[in-house]
Amino acid sequence: MSAVRDPAAQDGHVGWVEHTLAGITGSIERAVFTEEHARSRGWLQRVDPRAKLGMFLIVILAASLSGSIVIEVGLYAVVLAAAVASRVPTDFFVKRVWLGIPLFAGIVVIPAIFFVPGERLFDLALGPVHLAPSIPGLIGAVLLVARVGVSVSLAVLLVLTTPWADLLKSLQAIRVPQLFILVLAMAYRYIFLFLHLASGMFEARKSRVVARTSGGEQRRWISGTMGNLLNRSFKMSNDVYAAMSARGFTGSIRTFNTYRMRRADWAALGGAAAVSTVAVVAGRGVA
Amino acid sequence: MHIPDGYLSPIISLGMGVATVPTWAVATRRVQRVLTTRTVPLLAVFAAMSFTVMMFNVPVPGGTTAHAVGGTLIAIVLGPWAAVIAVSVALIIQALFFGDGGVLAIFANCLNMGIILPFVGYVAYRLLAGRSPVLSTRRVWAAGIAAYVAITVSALAVGTELGIQPMLFSENGHALYSPYGLAEAIPTMLAAHLFGASIVEALVTAFGVAYLQQRHPEYLTSLRGVVAGADVPEGETSRRPLWQTGGALVVGSIILLTIAGLVTGGGDIGKAFGADWSQVDWPSVATMLLVVAVIALILLPLAWFVLPRRMRGVGTAFVAAAIIAPLGLIAPGFAYGEGSTEDVQAAFGYIPQGLHDLSSVFSAPFAGYNLPLPFFSDANAALWQQAIGYEIAGFIGILLLGVAMYAITGLIRRAGGRASDAASPRPV
Repeated sequence: MSAVRDPAAQDGHVGWVEHTLAGITGSIERAVFTEEHARSRGWLQRVDPRAKLGMFLIVILAASLSGSIVIEVGLYAVVLAAAVASRVPTDFFVKRVWLGIPLFAGIVVIPAIFFVPGERLFDLALGPVHLAPSIPGLIGAVLLVARVGVSVSLAVLLVLTTPWADLLKSLQAIRVPQLFILVLAMAYRYIFLFLHLASGMFEARKSRVVARTSGGEQRRWISGTMGNLLNRSFKMSNDVYAAMSARGFTGSIRTFNTYRMRRADWAALGGAAAVSTVAVVAGRGVA
Repeated sequence: MHIPDGYLSPIISLGMGVATVPTWAVATRRVQRVLTTRTVPLLAVFAAMSFTVMMFNVPVPGGTTAHAVGGTLIAIVLGPWAAVIAVSVALIIQALFFGDGGVLAIFANCLNMGIILPFVGYVAYRLLAGRSPVLSTRRVWAAGIAAYVAITVSALAVGTELGIQPMLFSENGHALYSPYGLAEAIPTMLAAHLFGASIVEALVTAFGVAYLQQRHPEYLTSLRGVVAGADVPEGETSRRPLWQTGGALVVGSIILLTIAGLVTGGGDIGKAFGADWSQVDWPSVATMLLVVAVIALILLPLAWFVLPRRMRGVGTAFVAAAIIAPLGLIAPGFAYGEGSTEDVQAAFGYIPQGLHDLSSVFSAPFAGYNLPLPFFSDANAALWQQAIGYEIAGFIGILLLGVAMYAITGLIRRAGGRASDAASPRPV
């Protein structure tokens, strides 16, 4: 299937240029898509961003602390319910989380099932190889995958329901310095400019290079691109600084804050805390 | 390299904040003292650049691609403190917005890639570059080696963080977090980086510095000086002849090997590396070396011309490795990297469980890494006969590995392609 889709893949060689371009477009697409969802009118979108950040941190902490598969599954059900209430399309949400996980977790976890010492579930001898998953290994693997799944789902849901600007402002509530938040905000804005620049550079190369070039040449080109971006970064930061000082920037940062915690926000925060407490306490009891 | 949530215990991942948060505070203060009001735009733009660079796929020798971090290059240009903030901000945006790396694991990821990496890279670069002129070739080498060391140390940190999890947090015999102990996590992380990502990082950084020397040398002098408060030696370009560099390398490695041999042999050069060299039958060794040399003369050019262009370099290197493999037969007793589990147990006092399970897989077809034919592995077969057996076994092993790798990469590519249709995740 992959051989037909991409003409460059037909000789078994998917180009690094295409890879990078796909990555860049994927990021931009994802960001646009995310902002779209963050502005729709669901339950989580209406919660104050500071309360929301607190809620998610508490629940992620609970998911990390609990040592029980049952609890992780329960937490995942709660997350799914929250996603539905926030009008995030469920199939997309489930897919985005679980399609990314096996690539990393699978490679790490599958060998562990066989190497962890303990009672064996069965012992299948294939010539010299003994296929014998151990029970503690299996439990550990399922628990790890479940916990990673819940944590990733929570992070994705937080981002999907919060515009970036609000997320940054909520960082103030947990005492992140203003300077850091301003750098984060501006960096996010310039990321898209740089992604655009980089994709232009890669497309220019893709459309002009017809021969198969050597690996050394390719790496030299990549490094040249990095050096070029470095040069542009210096120039751009000078321009940005000039523009900022022309508009009266003196180094001190002031923001206006229009958020007010309403009763519903406190209720949501309290609810998240309650769910987490139950999860952690019950997790001690259930194996 | 990005650790997702769930692999580290929250106590560890939040505890890392004790190391990262003060570093950020110091870094901010130091950068602000030099840059004053320029801090915000410069750091923001460089964080954006760092993010973009992390998206680049760099072709690795052998046909696959890897991501570069670029932390050392930024540290060389901006100084380590500014690099800490630029790379950390890029990592935070990746975690919060693009789902690369966990939210609770932000501190751990920023410590590994945002603090350890630029600092190790910068210190190694300064040590290696010394007071050499800004445009010298030595600085290019220094940058490459520094980047290699930096990302390897950073991988070591990741391996350590993952490896201490099962020791600290286990319940009823099963690990609560990452399941591997130090004995598995560190070698895996190191091996994965030493021969892949580290090389990429080194090449990209070295070429990047070479590019800056050619096009924008001012970034390697004044601006870095401004940001890091460092003094930069000025000077003319000088070129050391290749034979001098090569000679220094050869002499250096001979000295290093002699010292290592003396230390391991307890000061007696006849017992270097813990082997009794007086038992070696030197005439038969000479015959073997001759046979190996003839094989090399035939096979190396053959491999070079037969292999397709894309894998020519790597393929020939593997063939060369297989050809020189039997040199380990010279040393009486323990041959490096070829020990059976009993040898390993004798040397290290324990057997990693994984090695024990795996060894039964490989020992079945080729007992003792030799072909099970009397001509090659008979008890009184001549050394050169054993050597040929070793080589054939080695080639078969490389072929099997190649086929397995090809199948696995094909599978991963297919799975990745299918996944990217739906959700376009980026490889970690």
